[in-house]
Amino acid sequence: MSMELSIPRFWRFKHSIYRLQAARCRSCGRVHYPPKNACPYCGSRDLEPIELPKRGKLVSYTTVYAVPEGSRQYSPIYVGLIDLGLAKVVAELTDIVDPSQLRKGVEMEAVLRKARVDRDAGLIYYVLKFRPAMGVPDVQA
Amino acid sequence: MQVFVEGVGMTKVERHYEKGLSHLAAEAAFKALDEAGGPGGVDYIVVANALATLQDEQLDLGGYLATSLGLRGVRALTIEAGEASGLAAAQVAASLIESGMADKVLLVGVEKITEFPSSKAYRHLQMIYDSESRSYYNVGFAADAAMLMRLYMETYGVDRELLSYWPALMHNNAKENPYAMLNFAIKPDRVSKALVIAEPLTLLDTFPLGDGAAAIVLSSKDSSSKPMAKITAIESATGLGSIELSDDPLIIDSVAEAYKRLSSLTGVDRFDFIELHDSFTITALLILESIGVAPKGKAAEMVAQGSFSPTGPGPVANPSGGLKARGHPIGATGVYQLAEASLQVAGKFPGVQVRGAKRGLVISMNGLGSNSFVALVEGV
Repeated sequence: MSMELSIPRFWRFKHSIYRLQAARCRSCGRVHYPPKNACPYCGSRDLEPIELPKRGKLVSYTTVYAVPEGSRQYSPIYVGLIDLGLAKVVAELTDIVDPSQLRKGVEMEAVLRKARVDRDAGLIYYVLKFRPAMGVPDVQA
Repeated sequence: MQVFVEGVGMTKVERHYEKGLSHLAAEAAFKALDEAGGPGGVDYIVVANALATLQDEQLDLGGYLATSLGLRGVRALTIEAGEASGLAAAQVAASLIESGMADKVLLVGVEKITEFPSSKAYRHLQMIYDSESRSYYNVGFAADAAMLMRLYMETYGVDRELLSYWPALMHNNAKENPYAMLNFAIKPDRVSKALVIAEPLTLLDTFPLGDGAAAIVLSSKDSSSKPMAKITAIESATGLGSIELSDDPLIIDSVAEAYKRLSSLTGVDRFDFIELHDSFTITALLILESIGVAPKGKAAEMVAQGSFSPTGPGPVANPSGGLKARGHPIGATGVYQLAEASLQVAGKFPGVQVRGAKRGLVISMNGLGSNSFVALVEGV
């Protein structure tokens, strides 16, 4: 049996993936996501965890047709740059019924979805993706 | 810095199904070594490569290549900085010479990217971006550039068709380059009609997947006999490399900083030509704007007007055809750029030769600028 996906690596990401846990710098006040070991803006190590809102506005987006191995069943893949106020994130977009819905400024919300599957090992990576806002996100801020 | 180019060798960038990593490296390295008067006196081999662990299942590429090239015993290093590996390795090679650790260094950039179907290469190339924010998604290698392209078009009110002049210029420049993978001309209006990779970015906005190797023999002034060119500076800088972390993703911070370091070090800010990292149409435009040869939001228009064409006011951009048309064998690309720049200032480039070229700038980066390198190449 071959294993394509790592369990420990994904497990370590769980707070940033599922809670959108970011880091706020106590020195310069800026927020970045996912958390690094020091502030990417001022270099300070004095960081505190902070959860990002689960709703935000679409800044830019694309529809990917040249999809990487293991994701053909999801093709085409929508990807967006979303401004959550405290910080911007890049995430896969989902539930896109009509691609013309995607415009700059459109309200997006986080939902739990499958991203990668390791068939041999029976592993599934679930992640937060963003969809055009329908009311409440799957996950509470 | 004064490091001399004694010989260069390149293979055509191509889907070399019949040639492996060491075979390609040998073609380029033997040509460079022969041009430099043979392998005698080589102290180090410095190898630039990004994907050998994934595509070729090979660690310590430098060590194995040394023996495979008949250089058993020389010191060997393998340098990886993603797409910028080539210039990163050149920086290490040049510093070995500058520090007196070596008199003569064989710099080899080599990459195989066609050992598996393209979709696997797309997964490998996704590693160019930060794995802590991308590895659990299926964004591929082009999504970030596509979002950046849309941002550019919307921010500056630039039409898609205006961006298409870059690929057309690259294809035109590559026509005469015997080492170019895509050596045929295209008209700008074909670009937007090509297969969509990541909307609005098409197949003609990005590089073809091709293998290749380039090699350069570098030497110190004392051990140099009949150099063709000299490298007078290599600078670099790290950066955010991320559209979400950057306040203004339309400036590549690491390119701007590396270039600032190079120009304050050398006092040089005029070049006859630039070989730059056009992994996508948008990265070419942003590099031109980040080093200030085009004002913000104006690079596409200037390209369309012919400002960077071989017959334009200059500097000439990518006389080789660039990553777009020469090709982009990932970790080897920076060595191709340096070899081409050396041939340009020697007046011996077998493609578009910039008339009277004395001074060239080489720019390489990984992804959207996690790490950027610039080099100044001058005639001797």
